[in-house]
Amino acid sequence: MNAVWHAAWAAVRRRKLQTIVIGVVVCAASATLVMALGLLEAASAPFDRAFATQQGAHLSAAFDPAKVSEADLTRAAGKAEATAGPFRQATVDTSEGEVFLGTLTVVGRADPGGPVDRVSVWEGRWATGPGEIVLNRAPGSDGRMELGFRLSLPGRPVLTVVGFARSVTGSADAWVTPDQVTALRPTALQMLYRFGKADTAVEVDAGRAAVTAGLAADALLGTLSHLTVKDKATSELGVFIPFLMIFGVLGLAVAILIVANVVSGAVVAGLRHIGMLKAIGFTPNQVMAVYLVMVSIPAVAGCAVGTVVGNIFAKPVVQDAVEGFGVDQLSFAPWVNVAAAVGMPVLVASAALVPALRARRLPAARAISAGATPHTGRALRIQRRLSGTRLPRSVSLGLGLPFARPGRSALTLASVVLGVMTVTLAAGVTMSMTAYNNAVRPNHTDRVELLAGPPPGAPVFAEPGAERPAAKLSDTEDESMLRSLPGTSAVLAMSQLDTEVAGGTQEATILFYRGDTAALGPRVLTGHWPDGPGQVVVPSRFLNQRGLSVGDTITVQARGNRTQVKIVGVVLTNNADQIFADWATLNVLAPGARASSYQVRMAPGTARDTYTAAVRSGDPGLRVLPPRDGTSSTAVIIISAAVVLTLVLGAVAALGVFNTVVLNARERRRDLGMLKSIGMTPRQVTVLLVTSMGALGVVGGLIGVPLGIAVHQLVVPAMAHAGQADAVDILMDVYRAPALALLALTGVVIAVLGALLPARGAARLSIATVLHNE
Amino acid sequence: MQNADAVVEMTNVRKEYSDSIALDGLSLTIRAGEAVAVMGPSGSGKSTLLNMIAGLDRPTSGSVVVHGSDLGALDETGLALFRRRGIGMIFQFFNLLDDLSALDNVALAAQLTGTSAGQARARALELFGELGISNRKNVYPAQLSGGERQRVAVARALMNRPALLLADEPTGALDSRSGEQVMDLLLDLNQIGQTLLLVTHDGRLATRCATRLIEVADGRIAREHSLERA
Ligand SMILES: Nc1ncnc2c1ncn2[C@@H]1O[C@H](COP(=O)(O)OP(=O)(O)OP(=O)(O)O)[C@@H](O)[C@H]1O
Ligand SMILES: [Mg+2]
Repeated sequence: MNAVWHAAWAAVRRRKLQTIVIGVVVCAASATLVMALGLLEAASAPFDRAFATQQGAHLSAAFDPAKVSEADLTRAAGKAEATAGPFRQATVDTSEGEVFLGTLTVVGRADPGGPVDRVSVWEGRWATGPGEIVLNRAPGSDGRMELGFRLSLPGRPVLTVVGFARSVTGSADAWVTPDQVTALRPTALQMLYRFGKADTAVEVDAGRAAVTAGLAADALLGTLSHLTVKDKATSELGVFIPFLMIFGVLGLAVAILIVANVVSGAVVAGLRHIGMLKAIGFTPNQVMAVYLVMVSIPAVAGCAVGTVVGNIFAKPVVQDAVEGFGVDQLSFAPWVNVAAAVGMPVLVASAALVPALRARRLPAARAISAGATPHTGRALRIQRRLSGTRLPRSVSLGLGLPFARPGRSALTLASVVLGVMTVTLAAGVTMSMTAYNNAVRPNHTDRVELLAGPPPGAPVFAEPGAERPAAKLSDTEDESMLRSLPGTSAVLAMSQLDTEVAGGTQEATILFYRGDTAALGPRVLTGHWPDGPGQVVVPSRFLNQRGLSVGDTITVQARGNRTQVKIVGVVLTNNADQIFADWATLNVLAPGARASSYQVRMAPGTARDTYTAAVRSGDPGLRVLPPRDGTSSTAVIIISAAVVLTLVLGAVAALGVFNTVVLNARERRRDLGMLKSIGMTPRQVTVLLVTSMGALGVVGGLIGVPLGIAVHQLVVPAMAHAGQADAVDILMDVYRAPALALLALTGVVIAVLGALLPARGAARLSIATVLHNE
Repeated sequence: MQNADAVVEMTNVRKEYSDSIALDGLSLTIRAGEAVAVMGPSGSGKSTLLNMIAGLDRPTSGSVVVHGSDLGALDETGLALFRRRGIGMIFQFFNLLDDLSALDNVALAAQLTGTSAGQARARALELFGELGISNRKNVYPAQLSGGERQRVAVARALMNRPALLLADEPTGALDSRSGEQVMDLLLDLNQIGQTLLLVTHDGRLATRCATRLIEVADGRIAREHSLERA
C-alpha cells in the first residue's frame, strides 16, 4: 500500500495542472450541491418538525354559531383522531386603534396545550384572566409591540399583551381567555382537527366530510387545511427549489463529466507511467489503486473546501429567504453536509473507476510502447476530406482534431452542452421572472399614481414628514378633472378594504377598481373582469392556497358587513391575498366610499412634470407618488442566483475544455513541434487548437440550447406551482430569435475561453525542448 | 567579413542550458551548394547546432544569419515564416502526422504558405514521382516502412523549394539498406544544387554524400575536412 501511496502522490505532484482542475471542479460542484440541498431542507423540514411537535391541526374550521350548537360540533368531531374546540372566535378590527394590526382573529382558549395545536408560548405567559391577550408571532420576529402593551379599541375592553406564542397551524392571530372572548362579540366557533390520514388534499377533504356529516349545510363558514398552511409557509422559498435543484443536478453532471474526462485523460497521458509501474512489479490492482488515489486526493480536498464554501455562501441566502415566513431559526441539517462531503468523493471515485479499470487491464508492453494514438477509419476519412477544403490549413487541421479522440471529445462536448443548457435555462428563467414582474408590477414611466385619501376605515399610511393626501374635490370631480387634462389617456380609480375570508386567519385585501380597468387593471387570464356587484376576480395563488376554483362563492367580511361574492375570473398578479372587484361591490361593503387613489396613463410624449403640475392645480389635495420601483425581491434573488450559478457552471464547463486542450496538446506535442518546424506560426498553432474546441462549442450550442429550453419548460411550471401560481404564456414563451442566436453562441464562447490559455501555452512551447525530451 | 554566397553564417554561437553548455562559441559558414555532414559524440551539440540554424531555439550569445536574415532579430512568427520558405527539416523520428495520408502530409507544407489544396497535392504528387514513392501516396504513416517514411519526410521538406535542407540523423532509425537509399536521395538532391546540412553517426554515409565533414566535440568544431565525393 505504501508503494501505491508513494506512486499516487508522485503522480499528483507531477500533474499539477490536472490536480488543480479536478480540485476546482469538485469544489464548485460540492458548493452548488450544498446550496441546493440546504434550500430544499430549509424549505420543508422546519415546518414539518414544528408541525409534528405542536400536533398541528390538519384542518381548522369556523362554524356559524347560529346554525350549529357546540354540542353538535363536539359529537360530529368524534370521527376525527383528535380534536380541540369548540373555541369561540371573534374578529377584531384594529383600524381605529393606536396601532394598526389589521383584522385580528381572536380565539378564546383556556390552555395553549391539548391534543391538537399545542401552541408554544415563547415569551411571557398564557392569558389567564380578563384584560389579557397573547399574540401569535414567530419567535425572533420583531414587532411594534412588547409585553405589557395595552391594546385599546373604541367600544372594546382594553387588552394587555402578556405573552407571545406561535401556532404552526396559524389557528389564530391572538388568544384570550374563554370568558374574555365573550366581551369581544364572537361571531364563529373554531374547531381544530387531526385526522388519521391527512397527507393529501383528498384525505383532508374526506376528514372534513366526516366531521361535518349531519351538521346543517351552511353551518360551515370556512376551513383551512394544513397543506395550505404548509404551502404558504414554504411557497416563496419553494419557488427557488426546482430552479436550484436543476442547477444542482447540472452542476453535478458537469462535475462528473469533467472528472471522467480528466481521469481518463490521466490514464491515457500516463500510459507510459502505467507501463513502468507494471514493469517494476505493481499488480494490476495496485495500478488501479494508484490512479484512484491520484484523483481522490484533489477530489477530497476540493470537496472539503466546496462544502465549507457552500455553507458560507448558502446560509445567508437561505436565512434571508426563510426569515420572512417566521420559520424558526435555521441550521442546515447534518445530512446536507454529510451528503455533500461523502457523496461527492464517492461520485468522483465512481467516475474514475472506469478508466482506472482500463489502466488495470492494459498490458505493460502496450503501455510502454504507447504514444501512437489510436486512429479510427472515420477520423482519417474526415481529415482527408478536410485536407481538400479551401479552409486555412490550421483551421482544417483543428476541425479534424476532435475525431482523433472521439471519447474525450464526447465528454468535452457534453460538458459544453451542459454549460450551454445552464446559460439557456438561466436566461430563460430570468426572462420569465422579468416578464412576470413587468406584468404584475408595472413600473411604466408613462403612469402616474395619485393618492386622494385613506381607504375607508384605514389609517393614513404616510411616512413621517410626508404630506398627507386629502382630496379637495369629490371623487367624481377628481375623475373628470383627470380625464379632462391634456395628456391623459386612461384613468383608473381605486379603493381597498381589508377583509377576512372566513375559515381561518387568512386576511385578504379587496381592491375596487373603476374606470379603464382593461388598460390599467391586472391582466385577466381566464373568465372575465367583474361586471356587477358580488363578482370578484382573484390571482391563481389565491385559488390554489384556499382550494377554490372559478365559479365558487366565498364569504368576505369587512367593516362589520358580511357578503357573498362569486369568483368570475383569474387575474395575473403576484399577491395571493388580493381580490379584485368593481365599484358596485364597494358600494355594498362601504356605501359612499370615495376612491383612495387614482392611476393615470399619460399619452405618449407627455412630460411627467408638466402633467403632475396640472394635476396639482386641478386638485392640490392629491398627492403624487414617485414612480414605482417594480423590482421584487424574489425576482432579484432568483435572477442573481441565476447569474451566479451560470457563471459557476459556465466556468466549470470552460475548465473541462481547458483540461481537454491541455491533454490534447500534451499528447500532440510532437505533432505540434513538427508543424512548427515546417513553418507553422504560434498564432496558427493557437488557431488550430482553439478551432478544435470551437467546433465542439458550435455543436454544443446547437444541442444545448434546445435542451435548455426543454428544461425551462419543465422548471418554470414547477417554480410557478411552488409559488402557487400557474405557468401562463408570458412565463413560458420567452425565447425569441435574437436571444436564441446569442445563446447558441455561448457554446463557442465557453469553448474558446477554455481553450485559449492552454492553446497559447502550447503555441509558445519551445520546439527544441519538445525534441530534446523525446 | 560577409560572405557573398554564404547560406549560413554562425558567429561565436554559445548555447547554455540550465545544466549544460551545448554550444561553446561555435562559428560556421555554409555556402550555397555545399553538402555538410556533422559528426560527433552524443551530447556534443549537433542537434543544438541544427536547431539554431532552423530558428527552433535561440542562442545564448552570438549571431546566426541565414539567407542574409539575422535570426536574432526575428520574433516567433517571423521565425516560423522564415522556416516555412527557407528551411526544409528532416528528423530522426516523428516526421509525419499520423492522421494524414502520405500525400496530405507532404501537401501540408505548401498549404501552410497559402497554396490551394489542389495545387499543393499536384506538387506533392510530382515529388512523389521524383522520389519513387508514387504508389504509397494514399497510405497512412503507420503503414509505411521506416525508409518510406523518411522519403516522404524528404518530400515534405522539399515542398517549398527551401534554400537549405537540414537533416538530423535521418537514417538513424533505419536499417543500412533503407539508410543508404535515403542517403542516395539526399546526394542526388545536392548534385542538382540543393544546399544540405546533415547530422549523422555513420561515417561511411557521411563521406559518401558530403562535400565537407565537420566534427563537433563539447560544443565546438574539433576538426573539419573537405571531401572528394566518391
Ligand atoms: N532543450 C534542452 N534542455 C536542456 N538541455 C538540453 C536541451 N537540448 C540539449 N540539451 C543539452 O545540450 C547538450 C547537447 O545536446 P544535443 O542534443 O545538441 O546533443 P547531440 O550532439 O545532438 O547528441 P545526440 O547525438 O545524442 O543526439 C546535451 O548535454 C543536452 O543534454
Ligand atoms: Mg541529437
